[in-house]
Amino acid sequence: MALPAPILLKRIPADPAQRRLCRWADYTATGGYEGLQKACTMPPGEVIKLVVDAGLRGRGGAGFPCGTKWTFLPKDVHPRYLAVNFDESEPGTFKDRYLVEHDPHALLEGIAIAAYANRITTSYIYIRGEYHRQAGILEEAVAEAYAHGIFGRKYPGTDIVHNCYVHRGAGAYICGEETGLLESLEGKRGWPRNKPPFPAVAGAFAKPTIINNVETLACLPHIVLQGAAWFKSMGTPSSAGPKLFGLSGHVNQPGVYEEALGVKMSTLIEKYAGGVKGGKYKAAIPGGVSMGVLGTDQYHAELDFDIGKKYNVLGLGTAGVIVMNDQTDLVLVLRNIVRFFAHESCGQCTPCREGTAWMHKMLNRIVDGFGRPRDFDLLMEIALSMGAMPGTTICGLADGANWAVRTFLQKFPEEFKARLKCGQVRGVELTATA
Amino acid sequence: MTWLVEDRLKPYASRRAEPYLTDAIKTQVAEKYFPRYPRKQAALLPLFHRLRQEYGYIPEQAIDETADFLGIARAEVQDAVSFYEEFRLTPSGEYVISVCRSISCELCGSRAVLERIRHVFGVDPGETTADHKITVLEVECLGACEQAPCALVNEDLHGHLEPDNFVRKLQALPNRRSGVSPPAGSGSGEDAASTMNGKAH
Repeated sequence: MALPAPILLKRIPADPAQRRLCRWADYTATGGYEGLQKACTMPPGEVIKLVVDAGLRGRGGAGFPCGTKWTFLPKDVHPRYLAVNFDESEPGTFKDRYLVEHDPHALLEGIAIAAYANRITTSYIYIRGEYHRQAGILEEAVAEAYAHGIFGRKYPGTDIVHNCYVHRGAGAYICGEETGLLESLEGKRGWPRNKPPFPAVAGAFAKPTIINNVETLACLPHIVLQGAAWFKSMGTPSSAGPKLFGLSGHVNQPGVYEEALGVKMSTLIEKYAGGVKGGKYKAAIPGGVSMGVLGTDQYHAELDFDIGKKYNVLGLGTAGVIVMNDQTDLVLVLRNIVRFFAHESCGQCTPCREGTAWMHKMLNRIVDGFGRPRDFDLLMEIALSMGAMPGTTICGLADGANWAVRTFLQKFPEEFKARLKCGQVRGVELTATA
Repeated sequence: MTWLVEDRLKPYASRRAEPYLTDAIKTQVAEKYFPRYPRKQAALLPLFHRLRQEYGYIPEQAIDETADFLGIARAEVQDAVSFYEEFRLTPSGEYVISVCRSISCELCGSRAVLERIRHVFGVDPGETTADHKITVLEVECLGACEQAPCALVNEDLHGHLEPDNFVRKLQALPNRRSGVSPPAGSGSGEDAASTMNGKAH
């Protein structure tokens, strides 16, 4: 199961002391841009077919098949855009940052291949505002790529010139939602759009647009060079290929590690992250806080894109694993997560804007010792009624809050119920007698 | 998105005769960013990043000037700019300390870091010290969870924070804007009230 050698991280040494920025010369000296060269010898349709055959699923969270997404573009409508989703803002997720800050050309080569296959006019790399240094690294790498004719050139046999630009966000989680990202790219507030029309038909500037995650694109050079069968030989039948896992929280060596999909969480924690810190394993979030929580008995969960039904979570998400030890107060953890969603709700849909704020208020009250037994069912009722899946909101932000709350309550009911007994108020007495 | 918080220590910002969007900035943005997008409005975020670098915040007057420059309504500019956390509409201190409070950082002790900053500098998140040196913000995930707890000092990421060391580092930052020396902070003090690991209840 384990990968014989790193693939996406092949230019980033495991030893932090040896890591450095991989520039154009380093990248091309280690086989860089050979994938693009090979892709350019193939008809565009063949490249798309190859990606479909490889079963490459989107690494940004939803796991939607990348090649299938490409086939939704209407034929012969130009210009068409590629928006690269580098708005990595899900708590616990830092894999794309880690990849780009060391090996930016891996992303750029992927962009060039996707652009070639889909006859993209302009690619916009939407990078989150907080990544200041990484934006600089990326700007430099893009300039290098321009200087060497990767961008700014016509596709053979057409008049279409492909350009690639870095577009910086300015601090909003919701801009990682694909249509929120497009609004932000157009210079507006990042409010997600109602679908349909889907971005493939009317996306950025009302033109056909593909939106792909950084890691998804970084897989492309390897798929082109080594083929669909090679890619499928890793992972599970429905979740092929290598995957970057970001481990954080209570582990001894937090960081980004690469493994084949389907790897056990216990393997990631013990073999790569140096084991649980400060106690025994209690709970973990499999891939960003919107995915819900894995319980104490799910330590050996096999992480692939289809973990949702198997382990009662929303999915693999961004594969940012957050580990919690047995000293952790899960009520405070859930309060933190719900506060995140309440803060980042864009305010467009009432169930999300009000629901996340209600749950945050309730959890504050519970932490203060004013919980009531009926709050358990009330929290659950609010949570289950918000999100795109219950059909009450435009985008999936509220689904994240929904799944976080429901899985914490379902998997750790005793811990919450113990805090929901009346008469537990602690704090300062007004008439303190010392 | 941003939820605007009133800063009780904010200085009064008035309008001025000379434009904030100087000809140099306009030319730079028009040459670099207008060709990138089919619509001028899309240059709004790059333009505001430029203004943020120049002035440290987005002056209200610049919103009017931007509307004229990009050929859109003032309301559209206001609508966009008020959404983003990084575009602050009031002047901030010389150093903006954005302490991450999301889950990985809180698990690793971000509350203690923030409490120590509050204790030493005497400001709540969203506020600026009286000498305009430090503005403290509490922000959501900075995407550096492997370095938790972490914070941005202006644009530079500081990871693996330890409360006392970090505060000492902040106190040692040079105060370039005014000649005021940094406030002498008392090093001792009670720690974070309730932490996820501490069972402080």
